[in-house]
Amino acid sequence: MTKNKDPLNIIITGVGGQGNVLLSQFVGKALVREGYHATIGETYGASQRGGAVMSHLRVSRDTQYGPLIAQGQADIVLGLEPLETMRVLSQYGNSEVVVITNSRPIFPVAVTTGEGVYPSPEQIQSTLEALSSKCWVVDATEIALEMGAPILANIIMMGALVGAGLLPIGAAAFEAELRDSFAGERLETNLAAFRRGMSLTAS
Amino acid sequence: MSPDIKGGRQLLADVINRDLCSLCGACVGMCPYLTAYKGRVVALDDCNLDQGRCYAFCPRTTTDLDAASRAVFGAPYDAGPIGKARDVFMTRSAAGDVRSRGQYGGTVSALAAFALERGLIDSAVLTATGGGMLPEGTLVRAASEVIGCARSNYVAAPTLAAFNREARREDVAKVGVVATPCQALALAKMRASPLENRNNADKLGPVIGLFCTWALRYQEFARFLREKVALNEIKKFDIPPPPANVFQVFSDSTSLSIPLDDVRGFIRNTCNLCLDMTAELADVSVGAAEGVEGWNTLIVRSDRGAELVEAARAAGVLEVDALPDENLNHLKGASLGKRRRAFANIAAMTGSESDLLYLDISDELRRRLVEGE
Amino acid sequence: MANVATFEAGTAQLLMGNEGIARGALEAGIGFASAYPGNPSSEIIGTLADVAADAGIYVEWSINEKVALEAAAAAAFAGVRSICAMKHNGLNVVLDFLMGLNVTGTKAGLVLVTCDDPGALSSTEEEDSRPVAKWACVPLLEPATFQEEKDMTRWAFELSEQFKTMFLLRGVTRTSHARGDVRIGERLPPNREARFTVDVPLQYTAIPAPPKHMAAHQRQERIREVFEEAPFNWYQGPEKPELLIATCGSGWFYSIEAVRALKAEDRVGILKLGTTWPLPEKLVRRNLARAEKVLVVEEIDPFLENNLKELVGEDPAAVGPKKFYGKRSGHIPSAGEINPDIVTAALAKILDIEHAPVDPDYSQKALALTSFFVHPRMVGFCAGCPHRATFWSVKNALKLDGRDGFVTGDIGCYTMAVGPTGFWQLKTAQAMGSAAGMACGFGNLKGLGFKQPVIAACGDSTFFHATIPALISGIYNKADYILLVLDNSATAMTGFQPHPGTGRTATGGPAPAIDIADVCRALGVRTEVTDPFDLQGTTEKLLDLLEDDGKVRVLVSRRECQLVRARREKAPYVMRVDQEKCIGETCGCARLCTRVFQCPGLIWDAAKGAARIDEVICAGCGVCADICSAGAIIREAAQ
Repeated sequence: MTKNKDPLNIIITGVGGQGNVLLSQFVGKALVREGYHATIGETYGASQRGGAVMSHLRVSRDTQYGPLIAQGQADIVLGLEPLETMRVLSQYGNSEVVVITNSRPIFPVAVTTGEGVYPSPEQIQSTLEALSSKCWVVDATEIALEMGAPILANIIMMGALVGAGLLPIGAAAFEAELRDSFAGERLETNLAAFRRGMSLTAS
Repeated sequence: MSPDIKGGRQLLADVINRDLCSLCGACVGMCPYLTAYKGRVVALDDCNLDQGRCYAFCPRTTTDLDAASRAVFGAPYDAGPIGKARDVFMTRSAAGDVRSRGQYGGTVSALAAFALERGLIDSAVLTATGGGMLPEGTLVRAASEVIGCARSNYVAAPTLAAFNREARREDVAKVGVVATPCQALALAKMRASPLENRNNADKLGPVIGLFCTWALRYQEFARFLREKVALNEIKKFDIPPPPANVFQVFSDSTSLSIPLDDVRGFIRNTCNLCLDMTAELADVSVGAAEGVEGWNTLIVRSDRGAELVEAARAAGVLEVDALPDENLNHLKGASLGKRRRAFANIAAMTGSESDLLYLDISDELRRRLVEGE
Repeated sequence: MANVATFEAGTAQLLMGNEGIARGALEAGIGFASAYPGNPSSEIIGTLADVAADAGIYVEWSINEKVALEAAAAAAFAGVRSICAMKHNGLNVVLDFLMGLNVTGTKAGLVLVTCDDPGALSSTEEEDSRPVAKWACVPLLEPATFQEEKDMTRWAFELSEQFKTMFLLRGVTRTSHARGDVRIGERLPPNREARFTVDVPLQYTAIPAPPKHMAAHQRQERIREVFEEAPFNWYQGPEKPELLIATCGSGWFYSIEAVRALKAEDRVGILKLGTTWPLPEKLVRRNLARAEKVLVVEEIDPFLENNLKELVGEDPAAVGPKKFYGKRSGHIPSAGEINPDIVTAALAKILDIEHAPVDPDYSQKALALTSFFVHPRMVGFCAGCPHRATFWSVKNALKLDGRDGFVTGDIGCYTMAVGPTGFWQLKTAQAMGSAAGMACGFGNLKGLGFKQPVIAACGDSTFFHATIPALISGIYNKADYILLVLDNSATAMTGFQPHPGTGRTATGGPAPAIDIADVCRALGVRTEVTDPFDLQGTTEKLLDLLEDDGKVRVLVSRRECQLVRARREKAPYVMRVDQEKCIGETCGCARLCTRVFQCPGLIWDAAKGAARIDEVICAGCGVCADICSAGAIIREAAQ
């Protein structure tokens, strides 16, 4: 299982505006809270505006690693958007990589303008299966919409990452981070989203 | 589907960017891409369709005159000097006030108002002059509104934009149009179009054509006139018969006579390439009866046109008289003269006797058009 | 809630590099911080602004970088440790002042942080700030790790105060805009006793110039001596490696990773330098002597590389013959970002090691399965962005006007109008304020046959930053242009920082809100204000202004940034598409909304052959209802 690999290379990817940065920060903080070295390399700035974004998260017991993962070296890919998951795999994937992705598409301009084609849910599933050792496609955005706010998809995906048992730390550190960041009703909503996410991948 | 029909990009390349646009308005009012603004057709964005109504209807894209004629008359193009002519009369409105407010004999206003009153049509697309001297198409529903549009504009007007825009209304079933020759050609192409969407061609009623020798560019002419007269005070333009050779401008405060040669510089390029003086693809065509004050020349072309004229005469709204032979011959001469000049100008522009720009016609038809056979 | 000011010493915290710099400044006891926002530097002063009350310091967003450094220098002259931060372009703005400050020196510690953006990930151009250090005779530090971001900042203040000169600290995107665990140190309390005194005549001037210039050079030599012992420079590797990597900043992590990836630990040594100007020449010569081959790993320009060569050239016998690899040799690209793969490839090539970074079978499979779908995502205006609406009207007005008019631009979110979501309207984009400056030139070419109308587009923050002088110059010189101020009430591109128009200070307090239209009217020019969401009204105003030519006119297109509005309130409209009415790809529409207007909230439903709203992305601004000629896009007031 991936959780004992050192360094553990995680790529969190999505489209600007999906809360990718916040999600990677939560994961990084939870790891540092548990005494791990964590480094996050993020795409920022102009890339926020509907661009492809990704965070490289590197986890180690022993030492701090640089902010960028080399090509072909991802251990886990957590995707907030299926096409971005594919994009990351094509550059950083390998036959051992484990993938969790949200199923909800955000069409790139090429698709909205009709020049390009977006893969069908079946194509997404089969492609990700072919390019990973294990993969989960979860309906995080649909669940988030049910819960009343699409942005919760990122916390649901965080739950899915923890629920799959891919990290060297458990849910407690994440719940503690959520408690440090939110209060009142927002805390309850985020905790509920996190737990809902965990249930999606828990075996 | 006809390979000759292309899309908006090609309309720009073939017509607008080559200064062949007559501003008839046939390409405007059907989509968000093309619009008419102050004497120009403007493409606001890039339409990527390979085929479009804009290209199909434009009187300056590749035009098969025989096909257009069949759509109106059920017969190939009549190359006679003034086109297909069942009858030629001298006419005028029976109502004195229409005559005085209209141009010449008020025949156009009389026919349009009559058709509306009789219910032969439920709407008419006419050309109104809005603020300043900028004319535009308008849809009128009542006979009483017709007289407000009675005026010669001399400045090109995108009248057919109003037809495109308004005739799609559910409460519009039959629309008459008062059209210049290029507009009548566009309407004929609309009727003849092989495209699935022929726009509102099925609602098109009688087309009353206007004699036309040229129209002016708005922006340049307005800049020229602005130095002489307040544009929003202009009431009427006129070109009195030869030998006056002047362009008259009547405004609230003044009247001007400008040498006609000064005005000719503002004629749209496309008018010099136009074959048609008498709106040969209209159902009836109306112009001045030169030398006969207060009367029009009227050419009856189609069955639809004949019915309209006959009914108007029977109802007593139109007075009809014979057109003197001398006038008819003069008209034919002028019409043939325009054709010959157009062919010469086209050849000068293309540098080739065989490249006729927008005209897709046989050598034989071309010969007949020039000869008036 | 714990923050960068209240973290306990001794704890480990996940900090962004910029937060590390902010914490380092607090640990050094700063009392004053100023900046003009610009990525990747914005969070340094942003972080300090957020904790100003907790930290007991003064923090401001200044009108531009030059004023920011002037203000920070003043505080330092008054005995208060001060930090000033900016991105690389900002350093250009500052140079006029910097080239006097360098010799004037300072009293209290003064650190200028400049963040470069290799690869221009959030910039319109790429440049290396470091040559300024050499040129201006200012000491330069380059942190390589997150811990160093903090620790070197603190150290820089001590040295700055000791040597009475400003220090330059250079970050790059991958150190500033990345996060890592950092061990927190003790904070010195801020020095609150601000007082300006002149101890020596002309102390705070650059006069007399040659002696003070000479003194600066002498000071640099003393600092060089301190750098010989700096804890931020070290060598690791075999005593006599086959190849020496000399690196600084972001290159350090990549270099370690490359050596590890190639298992070349016994062949390669790494000299890591944190003080890159002036170079500690003894330390450098000592380490250069270890190997004949030297690979220099650094981002953007060959600054370290050239300075190393200079040292070798001064005393070749001391280090022996050298073969340098780096940007000049082509082993490291001389433009764009570098990464572990680039360094590994360079190292593999020099050491002649076979290296396949990725499994070729997997790569081929991935390419075959994904390349058909994985389209690039063009950066563009957000759903509901007022700029999209403004540029829609600009496009239409210029087309209708028909005189081949165009828009000059500068730097801000609206720079994205160089691309499709701004309908390719922006034709120039160089520096802050340059839209109006260039319009001053275009707008005075009439006598040379120039007939095109010119619209200069700037943002609200940019208006204050550098547009005002160009506006006044244009008015004075009777230039013919329209200044279009895209006023979205925020410095949106860099993270919604307040500016003089917003009525808020950096620390959230109230401030006088300076109205841009009032400023323009006071200059005596015709000034109109429009709501960009009123497409027709904005187009008509523009057409009217275009006709009223021969002078400077101003149109303020005012509508709050959608992202800022959405933080406060729900969307005004719920949008939907009546797919029965939508005529989609047919003649009469040709998918104007999805193909041309390109709001990401509108997507193409290929199965239905009609447009559709993506309810997750749509911001409910309602503008698209006004561009749909079929009346198929329905705007309903939100409940």
